[in-house]
Amino acid sequence: MSLLEGFAVAAQPMYLLFALGGVLVGTAVGVLPGIGPAMTVALLMPLTYSLEPTAAIIVFAGIYYGGMYGGSTTSILLNTPGESSSIVTALEGNRMAKAGRGAAALATAAVGSFIAGTIATVLLSFVAPYVAAFAVQIGPVEYVALMVVAFLTVGALLGSSVLRGLASLALGLFIATMGFDSLTAQQRYTFGSPFLADGIDVVLVAVALFAVGEALYVASRLRHGPIKVIPVTGGWTKWMRKEDWRRSWRPWLRGTVIGFPVGTIPAGGADVATFLSYASERKLAKGARKKQFGKGAIEGVAGPEAANNAAAAGVLVPLLTLGIPTTATAAMLLVAFQRYQIPVGPQLFENDSALVWALIASLYVGNLMLLVLNLPLVGIWVKILQIPRPYLYAGILVFAALGAFSVNFTPIDVIILLILGILGFFMRRFGYPVAPMVVGLILGPIFENQLRRSLAISQGDPVALVSSPIAAVIYVVLIIIFVLSFWMRKRQSALEAETTADLEDDVDDGTGTPRASAAPGGPDADGTSGTAPAVSGDPVGPADPGAAAGVPGARSAHGPDTVSGGAHSGASSTKNRKEGP
Amino acid sequence: MSTSTSSPAGSGTTAAPGRPIGELIFALIVISVGVVGFVAGASIQTPPSASDIGPKAFPYLVSGMLVLVGTGLVIQLLRGGTGVPEEGEDVDPNIATDWATVGKLAGFVLLHSFLIVPLGWPIAAAVLFFGAAWSLGARPWFRNLITAIVLALVLQFVFAGLLGVSLPAGFLEGFGVFSG
Repeated sequence: MSLLEGFAVAAQPMYLLFALGGVLVGTAVGVLPGIGPAMTVALLMPLTYSLEPTAAIIVFAGIYYGGMYGGSTTSILLNTPGESSSIVTALEGNRMAKAGRGAAALATAAVGSFIAGTIATVLLSFVAPYVAAFAVQIGPVEYVALMVVAFLTVGALLGSSVLRGLASLALGLFIATMGFDSLTAQQRYTFGSPFLADGIDVVLVAVALFAVGEALYVASRLRHGPIKVIPVTGGWTKWMRKEDWRRSWRPWLRGTVIGFPVGTIPAGGADVATFLSYASERKLAKGARKKQFGKGAIEGVAGPEAANNAAAAGVLVPLLTLGIPTTATAAMLLVAFQRYQIPVGPQLFENDSALVWALIASLYVGNLMLLVLNLPLVGIWVKILQIPRPYLYAGILVFAALGAFSVNFTPIDVIILLILGILGFFMRRFGYPVAPMVVGLILGPIFENQLRRSLAISQGDPVALVSSPIAAVIYVVLIIIFVLSFWMRKRQSALEAETTADLEDDVDDGTGTPRASAAPGGPDADGTSGTAPAVSGDPVGPADPGAAAGVPGARSAHGPDTVSGGAHSGASSTKNRKEGP
Repeated sequence: MSTSTSSPAGSGTTAAPGRPIGELIFALIVISVGVVGFVAGASIQTPPSASDIGPKAFPYLVSGMLVLVGTGLVIQLLRGGTGVPEEGEDVDPNIATDWATVGKLAGFVLLHSFLIVPLGWPIAAAVLFFGAAWSLGARPWFRNLITAIVLALVLQFVFAGLLGVSLPAGFLEGFGVFSG
């Protein structure tokens, strides 16, 4: 079996070192605010000049998985007032930490991530070859359909505003058309400039939007004052009590079951997976435990963290079998493959099977390393969390400049970096998600080629695009996904509003406002009774995509879409959204 | 610290005065990119040999999307639907925009781009780090300076020396470990 051969490669000492390097860097950037795995892979793209493909891909995969673990540490231990309430799932861990249970929260997140990551990687190993075997048979028309799904879900479902996401996507597609047309060699939108003749490099745009845009945006509203990290004490073996284990193992497994399929389908990404897991844990909890939700329930950490990591593995299914990235980090992995001229698509499992299986095997190894790095060695990351912010963001700018300069070794690229970075700054300021732009830029040329091939076959008849049975199914599924997502988004904001309201009541308690005396009973009663109806529909959520997947072709149809930035660290608060797709 | 000047509500989503205008300009830029796409797209040559829809069709499609979405955004903004600024662990939603710092950072990146060739990458990088850290409020200056120099040398060593990325070494030219 090829997986064993993959292990034989990944277990060589040199590749183990590369994997370790990858997961170390990945965890570090996952922990650090303002920097995420997509940006890191973009910044480290110069590695592709000097490393051979297997080594570089293993490093990048390590960063991808590592980023997922690191994010949870930040959301649990970093005490940033007034901000974390935006994502419900990040909140339980933080609440646990404030109540002195931070160690248990960290442990359940790490162990849950490991279990879910490992199970999901097993699923990936078994599912991906079948999807690839199926995908080999589909033609350009079906590809066009899949990519339309990917574009629309990435553009419209990511971020809070549909129009802003689509605008971001369209800007990315526009930049993608600049330079030589690959089929006819005609210049497009180069405005006579030799610098634009080859188009604008993907790495340049990604680094500018993720790194420079982020640094400028944070600088404009930098939170000053000391960085408050909640301390964790005691030996790591005693972090989880027996009861914690008993309460965690079921949410871990449920999170895995929810996360993996959601990762493979276009339903809005890991954010959706973590939310679904959180909602179902909250629904399933009984009695006193239910009342803990919003105040530090361990189930609310265990489930979403597991779902988050399982979704991360799920995202690799459409990436490796169809060449369709559904998150920002997956898009950057695709760029890495492109740098080596390795075509990513259904043929990948046949043509480059050694590389793919080495990559998958390295994910198993990386998961094990990450468990060690995040339990006994979590202290290191807590220190990293305390890096002075001026140094952090100054360093990000230096790395961005390095990445930009090394694209073509010309300072002009650094100036283009700055211009695109300012664009990224305004996009953040005005609520435009940047991830759709990067995905549009990367998928744009592939989409155009497939579209033109489809229309060349049909001799220009656009009806051919929807008349293939598989393509028609894909479009129908797209509509279903949209309806479901909007419905789910409403549920999500209802739940968030409610939890935030609970929290605000709690805060009132603490500060002893006049309402304090009435508060203790109030919020609890509200929380439990109010929640039940709001959440009741959610557990159905995961079942729906599953049912759809029963239709032949539907599963891969979904695949491409899950872009939400979340996949790298869904549960870890807003950081995910930044780099979302 | 957090001296809140503009939005007392503290939600961060309520607009400071003037922001809708900025957003409106941004939406208009989206439309104008689409218009430029149509105008400049007209001059794309379609070779007679092209057997498919040619190189023009897709750019037109994207330009049309930009115009449509941009128009939708303008309408949404005029009806009062403003965007929600991104949140982040290090972002304080309650303080006013610090344009001076943004300007300084952009200035140092620009300066960096002009220094790479004449002075070499390590010096240009050290200047960028030192300037950015200072702009963001790091003190004292000598600690910033030492950090900047150490970081620049380490990066030059790792990327140029070890990984073979051709960063111009500047004054370090001739030291094998620092050149790519």
